[in-house]
Amino acid sequence: MSESEDQELQALQRQLDDAFETTRPRPGFEDELWTRMQARRPASTRLRDAWMGLIQGIREAPAVPMGAVAVLLVVVLGVSVVTLSGIHIGGGGGGTSLSAGSAQYGPEAGRAGPPGAFGRLPSPVLNPGLPDKAADGALPAVTAPSSAYSGPVTLTWTGKLDLTVTSAPVFRYSEPSTNTADQFGASLGAILVSRPAGYLGSYETTDFSIRVRGSVQSPAREPSFIILPIRALAPIDAAGGSAEVAVVFLAQHSIAPTWQYTSEATTSGDQTKVLLLREFSIAGYGYAYLVDGSGERYGLEVDLKGNTPTLATGQLPLSLDTASYPLISADEAVRSALASSPPVAASPAVPSVALTSAELVYSLVVAGDHSFYAPAILFSGSFTVGGKTYVKRVLVPAVDPSQRSS
Amino acid sequence: MLSDRPLFEDLYRAYLGRIYAYVRAQVSSSADAEDITAQVFMNAYQAYARFEARNTTPAAWLFRIARNATLDHFRAHGRRERLRRTIEHQPMAEEDPSGMAEERIQYRALLERVGRLPERQRDAISLRHSGLSFEEVGTLLKCSEDAAKMLYHRAVKGLRDAVEKEGV
Repeated sequence: MSESEDQELQALQRQLDDAFETTRPRPGFEDELWTRMQARRPASTRLRDAWMGLIQGIREAPAVPMGAVAVLLVVVLGVSVVTLSGIHIGGGGGGTSLSAGSAQYGPEAGRAGPPGAFGRLPSPVLNPGLPDKAADGALPAVTAPSSAYSGPVTLTWTGKLDLTVTSAPVFRYSEPSTNTADQFGASLGAILVSRPAGYLGSYETTDFSIRVRGSVQSPAREPSFIILPIRALAPIDAAGGSAEVAVVFLAQHSIAPTWQYTSEATTSGDQTKVLLLREFSIAGYGYAYLVDGSGERYGLEVDLKGNTPTLATGQLPLSLDTASYPLISADEAVRSALASSPPVAASPAVPSVALTSAELVYSLVVAGDHSFYAPAILFSGSFTVGGKTYVKRVLVPAVDPSQRSS
Repeated sequence: MLSDRPLFEDLYRAYLGRIYAYVRAQVSSSADAEDITAQVFMNAYQAYARFEARNTTPAAWLFRIARNATLDHFRAHGRRERLRRTIEHQPMAEEDPSGMAEERIQYRALLERVGRLPERQRDAISLRHSGLSFEEVGTLLKCSEDAAKMLYHRAVKGLRDAVEKEGV
C-alpha cells in the first residue's frame, strides 16, 4: 500500500469516526424512550434497580461502618419491597400499573430544610360542603355525582392502623407568577394569547391551546394547566395500553410527571380517561397518595379518543421545598377520627358507620404565597341508608398538633 | 454477592447515541432507526437480569442485541429494499427536511455509502466506528480478531473505492 493510499484511508477512517460520533437521535428521543421503558417495567425490575442503586450508594461511602450498612440494607430493602410492590399499609392499590421516573422529584426538587422549617402549618380538611360519596362508583373522575348524605352518623373504628413512621415530609411550593406560567407555555412552544380572569395566562400553538391558573382556595387545587387541541392531534404510536399513550404524549411535550404515580384508565366506547395519580414518598412507610377535598386520589389526567389525546390537565410543574414534621400516633389518629362526628343520641335514624380502613395520604392546603402538601390520615368505611350504600371518609391531619396552626 | 453490573440507566444514557448511530448506518430512515433503537433498549432492559459482566462487555452485549434487532428488521421489512439498494446502488429514500436538519448532512451521505456495503463489511465498519475493539467485532461476527481486522480493512477500501467512483 502506497503512503498516499494509506493517508487516504486514514482520512476516510477519521471521517467515519466523525460520522458515527455526530449521528444521534433527535432531541427529546432519549427522555421519551426512557419514559416509555419506565412505564413498562415490571415491579421486579424496579426492585432490582432500587437494590442496585442502594449497593452503588454504599460502595461510594466506604467509611460507613459495616454494622450500620447491614441495618440500612435491611431497613431500606424492606421499604423497597413495600413501596415497589405497590403495597400500601391500610390503603388500597386500585391502579392498573405502577410507574415513575427514576428521580421522584427530579426537575421539581427544591430545597430541603431542617425539621419544622415551615413553622406551624395549617391543617388539611375535607371540603365540608361535599357529600359523602356513593360507593357504587368505581372511579370518581368519570362517575356521575354521588347522592348526598349529610345527616349525622355514629362512627366506630374496626380497622387496623399501623403508623410505622413518626415523622413525614411536608412539601411547600411558592405561588407561581405570570412569568412562571409564561415559561411553562414557552416550554411547550406556545405563545401568550391573553390573560383571562382567573388565569395566569392563555397560550396557543398551532395544534393546541393551554390555560394556566394559580392555586384555588376552595375546593383546594394547586396551580394547574389544561391543554385542549385546536385541531385533531396526531395519534400517539405507543406500544402498551392507554396509560402509555398518555405518558408518551406528555413526554413528547416534556410534561411527563417526574413524580411517582399509579395509573388508572377508564374506557367508554372509544374514549379513555387516563389518570396518573400522584404519590409522595415517605421514608420508612412507602408511598402516600395525594387526595383532593373529597378524599379522591388525583394527579394528571389525559383524555384520549382512540390513541389521540383530546385533553390533558394537571398540576403545573413547580419546585417543592421540603421539611420533616412529627406525626401523631395511630391511637391519636383514631381518636381524632371518631371525634370528628359529634355524639348523638342513639336512634334508628342515625346510621352507624364502621370505619374499616385508614391510610396515610397527602392533602393540599392552600395558604397564600406558599401552599403545602401535608400528610394526613384518611379513614373510610361504608354504610347503607335507604338501600343505598355510601362511603364515609374522615381526614385527620397527621402533623403533630404542636406544629399546627389550625 | 455484589453485582459488577452498572445501573441500566447509566448504560442507557451512555450507549443510546452510539447504538442509534450504528442502527442508522444500516437502515434507510431515522424513523426506522428510532424504532429499532427503542426495540434494542426494550429488549436489553428485559434481559438485563441475565447479563453477565464477566462474560462480555456491556458494549458488546448491547451491540449484539442491536445487530440482531437490525437483522430482524430486515427480515420483516427491508430485505427487498436492502437487496435493491445493494444491487442497484439506488439512493436511500429522502426524509422530511426537519429530520434531515437534525443530522449532520455532510456525514449522512457517507453513512449511506456504508449502508450499501455487503452485510458483513457494513457491520465491521459500523461496529468498529461505534467504539468496539476488533476482538469484540470478531466475536459479534463470529470470526477471529485477525479476520475481523481483515474484514474491516477490506470494507474501508471498498468504501473508498465507492466514494472515488461515485462520490459521496
